[in-house]
Amino acid sequence: MLIFSGSSNPDLAKKISSHLGIELSPLDIHVFPDLEKRVRIIDSVVDKDCVVVQSTSIPADSHYMELFFIIDGLKRSGAKSITAVIPYLGYGRQDHIFRSGEAVSLDVIIHILENRGVSKVIVFDLHSIRIPELFNVQVSHLSALPLFAGEIIKNKWNDSDSVLVSPDMGGIRRIKQLSALLNTMQFVAIEKNRDLVSGTVTADTISGSLRNSCKRALIVDDMISSGGTIQVASKLLKQHGLSEVIVFATHAVFSDDAVKTLEESDVEKVYVTNTIYVGKEKQLEKLEILSTAEMVADELR
Amino acid sequence: MGFNDFILLTGRSNPKLAKFIGKILKKEVFEPVTIFSDGEIRVKIAHNLRRRHVFVIQSTCTPVNDNLMELIFMIDAAKRASASEIIAVLPYCGYSRQDRKEMPRVPISSSVVARLIENAGADTIVTVDIHSEQQQGFITGPWDNLYASYSLIPVIKSKRLKHLVVASPDKGGVKRATGYARLLNAEGIAIVYKERDMAVNNKSEALEIIGNVNGKDVLLVDDMLDTATTLVNAANLIKKRGARRILASTTHGLFTGGALEKISQSAIDEVLITDTIPSKPGVLQNKKITVISVANLLAEAIRRIQTGESMSKDLIL
Repeated sequence: MLIFSGSSNPDLAKKISSHLGIELSPLDIHVFPDLEKRVRIIDSVVDKDCVVVQSTSIPADSHYMELFFIIDGLKRSGAKSITAVIPYLGYGRQDHIFRSGEAVSLDVIIHILENRGVSKVIVFDLHSIRIPELFNVQVSHLSALPLFAGEIIKNKWNDSDSVLVSPDMGGIRRIKQLSALLNTMQFVAIEKNRDLVSGTVTADTISGSLRNSCKRALIVDDMISSGGTIQVASKLLKQHGLSEVIVFATHAVFSDDAVKTLEESDVEKVYVTNTIYVGKEKQLEKLEILSTAEMVADELR
Repeated sequence: MGFNDFILLTGRSNPKLAKFIGKILKKEVFEPVTIFSDGEIRVKIAHNLRRRHVFVIQSTCTPVNDNLMELIFMIDAAKRASASEIIAVLPYCGYSRQDRKEMPRVPISSSVVARLIENAGADTIVTVDIHSEQQQGFITGPWDNLYASYSLIPVIKSKRLKHLVVASPDKGGVKRATGYARLLNAEGIAIVYKERDMAVNNKSEALEIIGNVNGKDVLLVDDMLDTATTLVNAANLIKKRGARRILASTTHGLFTGGALEKISQSAIDEVLITDTIPSKPGVLQNKKITVISVANLLAEAIRRIQTGESMSKDLIL
C-alpha cells in the first residue's frame, strides 16, 4: 500500500502512515504564478494499492481540484486501486436541492471522483447520513463519536449532572448514538432556526426534559463553521441555569471569525478532531484536538 | 423554439465581458453565484430554464479552481432545471497548458478539466484560442474553438504597419503566426526559437531567429501573456536584429510575476490583449497595453449557435 498526501492535511496523513508503519510516498505539488497546480507522482505506482489523504476544507475548490489531479495522475501511472481518504468532505451541505434552480454540488463532485477512478472513499461524520447513497463506490463512513465518548468517560462527565445537547433538531440521530455509547446518557435538543437567505441563526427552545440538577452541558455537532450555532446554543443553555458548557465537534471548519467567536463565547472547552488541520494561529486555549489517524489506519488495514 | 429562447448565465470570473456579450445580444445576463462563509460556492438560478438553451459564460482564470467549480455547479444547476441544451463558454480556459504527459507520472490536468465540464452536463464547449486544439478530443461532444483574431485583426489593420512580418515567440506558435500573416497580407513570418548550446552541459539555451526582421514592422503573436518572459525575450532579440516597430498581439492576459514591469522595459512598442481575462490592476494604466474586447466574437458565436449557422466562416481560422 502507498499513501499520498495532498496539501490540505499532511499532518493527519503522516499520523495515518505512521500508525500503519509505512512512509508517505513522495508527491510534488507545484503551484504556478497563476495559481494553477501541477501534481507529479515521483515513484512508480504500477499495480499498487494507493491511498490519497486530502481534506476538502477551506479553500474547498482548490483542494478538490488538487485531489482530482492526484487521482488522475495515479490512474494514468498504472495504480491498481485508489482509495480517497477525505476526512472532511467539502460541499457536504449541498447534497440536495434546497430551493429550485440550485445545483447539487456534492453530487457533481462525487461523479468526478468516481469517473476519475476512485475505488473506495473513507469519510468522517457526514452532514447527512444519506450522502453515502450518492456514491456508487464503497464508502466507509467513520465517526468521531467513539473518541468523544472516550473523552467524556475519561473526564467522568457521564454522570447525572451532565446532559448531552444537540444544537439543532437535525443532530438528534448523532446525539442518540453518542448516548447509546455512554449507557443511555440523557440528552436534549435545541430548536434552531436558520434564515436560508441571511444565514442568521436563532435558538429559542430546548426540547426534551432538562433536570434541574443539571450543571454541565455537552454540546455535540458535526462541525464548527462560523461558531454562530455554538454561541447561540451556549447562551441559551446558560440562561437555563447550566454552569458549564463543553463542545464536541468533529470538523473544525472555522470560517469567518470562528476562533474569536469561540474565544468570547460562554463555552468552557471545545473538542474537535484533526479531520481538518487546525493551524497554530487557530489553536485557542480552550481547544483540544483529538486524532482520527488510528481509526483511518484501522480502516485501511 | 424561437431565437430568443436562450438564457445567459455568468459566474464571478468575468461578469464584465458576459454583460458586454449580453448587451450586444440584447439579453439579460444572470449571475446565480453566491458564496458561503467557508468559501463554498452556492448556485441558485432564479429564472425558468425548462427547455431552453443555456449559455454559461465563465473564464477559468485565477482563482482557477474556484472559477472552475463555479462553472460546473452552474452547469449542474442548469441541467437539473431541465435546460434543453447547455453550452459552456470559456473565454479563457485554465489548465489548458497541462495538455500532455510532459514527464512521467503526471496527470493530464486539462483532460480532467474538460471531462469535468462535459460530465457536469455541458453539451458543447466554446473556447477562444485554446492552447492546443488537440484538446477538443478530450471530450466526446462538440468543442468550438474560436479565434480572437476576429476581434484583433481589425485593430491591428488600423495600426497601418509597414513591411509587416508576423513573428512567433516560440516554435509552438508557428501555425498561429502563419494564420495572422495570411489575414494581414504580411511580407512573411519569423520564428524565434531556443537553441541548445551543446558546449555548456546541454543546459544553456540561446535564442535564435528564423526569418528576416531587419527594417520591418513586426507583429508578435501568442495565445497567452503569463509572466511575459518568452514574449519580451523574443521582442528584445527581434529589436536587436533591426526591427522597426514591434507590436505584440496576445489573447489571454494573465500578467503574473513581473509581467507589467517586463513589458514596460522591453523593446515592445505596443501590446494588444483581449478581455477574456479581466484586466489586472495596472494593466489599464500601462501605456503600452491596449485591451480589445472579444464580446463581439462570442456574441456572434452565440447567435450562430442559436440560428444553426456555421461557425467556421470567419470565427475559426
